[in-house]
Amino acid sequence: MVQEADLSAFRSKLGSEVEKALHDKKVIRKEDTTYRIISKSVTEYQFIVPFDLPDEQRVEVGQIFSIKDHDEARGRRLTFLARVLDIQHGSNYEGNWDTTMKGTQFFDHEQIFNRVFAGPLGCVNCDGSFRKSRTIPTKFSTVSRAERSEFKFLKQVMGDIEIGYLRNGSRLVEEIPVALHSDTIDHHMGVFATTGMGKSNFMKVFAASCMRLAVRGESKFGLLIVDPHGEYLNGKGSIKGLMHLKRYRDGLACYSTDRKNSQDPGVEELAISESEVRPEDIALLYEWSPPQRDALDAISRIFDGGNWLEEIQSPDGLARMMQEGFKDSTVNVLVRRIKNILEKNKYIQRRSSLANILASLQSGKVVLVDIPRMSDRSELFLLSVISRYIMEEYKKDEHEGRKNCLITIEEAQRVLGAGSNTSRFETIAREGRKFGVGLCAITQQPKLIDKQLLSQFNTLVVMGLGDRNDRIQLEESAKQDLSTLDIEIQTLEKGEAIVSTLKIPFPVPARIHRFEDYLRRLEKEDADDALISRGGFRPFLE
Amino acid sequence: MWDFGRLSIVAELIRDHIYLESIDEYCEKTGVRKKDFVPIEAQDFGGEIFAVDGSNAAVCNWSVANLNLIRAGFAVYRGREWQRTTITYDDVFLADPRICEDLFDPCLKAFFGLKGIDLKESDLDRLSTYFRELQEYIALNEAIIEARSGDIILYDGGFDVFEPLRSVLAVIFKRAEDKDVDLLAVSKSSTLFWGEGLTLPFLQHTSYAGSLFVPGVPWYLDLKDKRVEHGQGRWNGETYIARFAGSSERAFRVDAPSYVRDRIGSALGKLVAHSCSSECLGYPHALFRAHEDVRISGQECDLLRLRLMEMLGDMGMSEPHVRMLMQDFHDVLDMRQQI
Repeated sequence: MVQEADLSAFRSKLGSEVEKALHDKKVIRKEDTTYRIISKSVTEYQFIVPFDLPDEQRVEVGQIFSIKDHDEARGRRLTFLARVLDIQHGSNYEGNWDTTMKGTQFFDHEQIFNRVFAGPLGCVNCDGSFRKSRTIPTKFSTVSRAERSEFKFLKQVMGDIEIGYLRNGSRLVEEIPVALHSDTIDHHMGVFATTGMGKSNFMKVFAASCMRLAVRGESKFGLLIVDPHGEYLNGKGSIKGLMHLKRYRDGLACYSTDRKNSQDPGVEELAISESEVRPEDIALLYEWSPPQRDALDAISRIFDGGNWLEEIQSPDGLARMMQEGFKDSTVNVLVRRIKNILEKNKYIQRRSSLANILASLQSGKVVLVDIPRMSDRSELFLLSVISRYIMEEYKKDEHEGRKNCLITIEEAQRVLGAGSNTSRFETIAREGRKFGVGLCAITQQPKLIDKQLLSQFNTLVVMGLGDRNDRIQLEESAKQDLSTLDIEIQTLEKGEAIVSTLKIPFPVPARIHRFEDYLRRLEKEDADDALISRGGFRPFLE
Repeated sequence: MWDFGRLSIVAELIRDHIYLESIDEYCEKTGVRKKDFVPIEAQDFGGEIFAVDGSNAAVCNWSVANLNLIRAGFAVYRGREWQRTTITYDDVFLADPRICEDLFDPCLKAFFGLKGIDLKESDLDRLSTYFRELQEYIALNEAIIEARSGDIILYDGGFDVFEPLRSVLAVIFKRAEDKDVDLLAVSKSSTLFWGEGLTLPFLQHTSYAGSLFVPGVPWYLDLKDKRVEHGQGRWNGETYIARFAGSSERAFRVDAPSYVRDRIGSALGKLVAHSCSSECLGYPHALFRAHEDVRISGQECDLLRLRLMEMLGDMGMSEPHVRMLMQDFHDVLDMRQQI
């Protein structure tokens, strides 16, 4: 039983508590609730920003923010970096108050905001070293746009082949050039973009950086580019070509099937010897019936390897094939198609450029094979002959000083697609790395490339893909997680790219240099100047 | 089995009495005429608007102990800019008749110079409601202290209050008048009824009548001399019905002390200019914000209940013990987790 005395004491205590509470007034004033981490996990950070920011302060997908979790007294000194993945409208008010147009304007600006979803990139220690983040920033840690100085660590992880600048949303971070690593190139590379997004510009910038390294004796691989559009050599109109990079011209070896182009003293007329063409090169050009394929397979057994093209077209050749049990109609189809190939590919001659091409590649130069106006099939045929030759040569013992090689394939879905009959390129994709040969696959339809092959690509340059299936294919095959960047990839503009490569700890947003600007800068740079360490060039400031 | 026949009779009653086919009967019985709807002109206002609100949530409704969380405070706006929100009270309230004096008396004395509260037997069930109202009046008092001459002070509720606290309101009215502020109570829900027999909702029907008589504009209606029970004479002031935005469908009951009567049009005009927010069109925005800031969430009550259980545990009471002593068996039957 509660005694009266106890109750009295309780009432007295309660009375004083009430009096205390009466004077315990709390005033809530305007405070900065935006730009602070509010949630939510190791894989996703959220913060809010004002909903009505001026244009120059708007938050954009792809922008990188830094979260300073600094409290010296408690021993917290980490700076987290996160990339904006999505932005949504939000408010502190519940219900569907904002789904109809009401009133004349918002009154409570601080209650209405945009919620920003950001993907963590990693965190930077006080000593400036970067690592992947396995924790979350302290709640309400302040968030701000990452300063240029906060990207400095990226310089340490960038490679030697400069391709553009770091991009923070739509803004450039000119101090931080984005550069690929030469020594990861034989792990294969993919360049993916829809038409007009800047694939050719990227390849020219890439090639220019390779030429520069070659001249400076710093090249670690030779780059083979077969150009069926005739745009890399001299460009078109106001668009420059690789020949315009005079300063590093010695890093380029050019071959052309075009008479006019090959009159240039720096360009050699392309020639492939008949003896260097193999039946399997012919095989990939047509659809063959089973008997025809048998006949093709038998050629190397029946004829002398070096002269089979001539022999099979002779009456004696026909007789020898028939002796092997092939019908004359089957052999005639073979012969007719071979004659067509020889007719269309005038560069098949007695002499050959392949040895020189190989030598240039092995010395680390850029080799440009210019084949303007050549048909799709002829291009594939030529690429097959050259790449087979290179692969065979690289399989031989490595001699001292030999550089690796990167073979570029335009419209790579033709030869790396699921079910394509071009096993040569698949072989390079699967085995090339062992022998120092890599593929640079350029395509606008990565969804058509065999998923297993795509997973062999360790460097991806993604330049805007509207097709969801293309993006899914890349996301499922990439070594780094691209799935969270889906919205950013959709919204990439011309010349912008996401670069995912080994040795750079996260997919890097970049703006690829405009080739003409890059060219101008390279022509002006000092001989001993290192672009990367100096922080790239500044074409837009000139 | 439900008796749908009886349900049908209810539906018929609603149709005949609550749904107005024409407003003739409404006008005849209430004395409201078209000319009584006075359009309100929005007025520029550079002063501050204070909006007072309170909240009362049950932390636990145990058979032997009723604990509530009570919060009161006010939001302040200058124009369309929120300035601050002041929480004047934010604490638990144990609703026990034996100790209620200890809770009410200090407040009445400290803030209003009044002595004690005279609660009748029937009032004891409403202890937490009274205490919340008292805290709202303390918030009103604080707002009056902070306000400057010409400011507006809004109260979420009505001034036709229960008998025990009328003396408190009288003090507030006096202080507001002395400070020369416009004190208005805006009520979301109203107990105004008209008609004989079945009670008919006066506020809703007046709103409908206003839409017909003065469509698309804000208006107000003075209830003086109208045949509707609104507590005339019980408190020193007037009651109005007002629509604050022409495009809104809702009207509100507005109570004002008698000293505001001469300038009620001007005071409502200032409110109309600040009842056009996208967040809550047609309602004085300061009151909307006060409601948001003062509201007690279910989560807060859950947290307090858990904390209380922890404290009881620390004091040696096990959960089954607490349940045995305090839980209402209705909660057991309804499978409600109250402890």
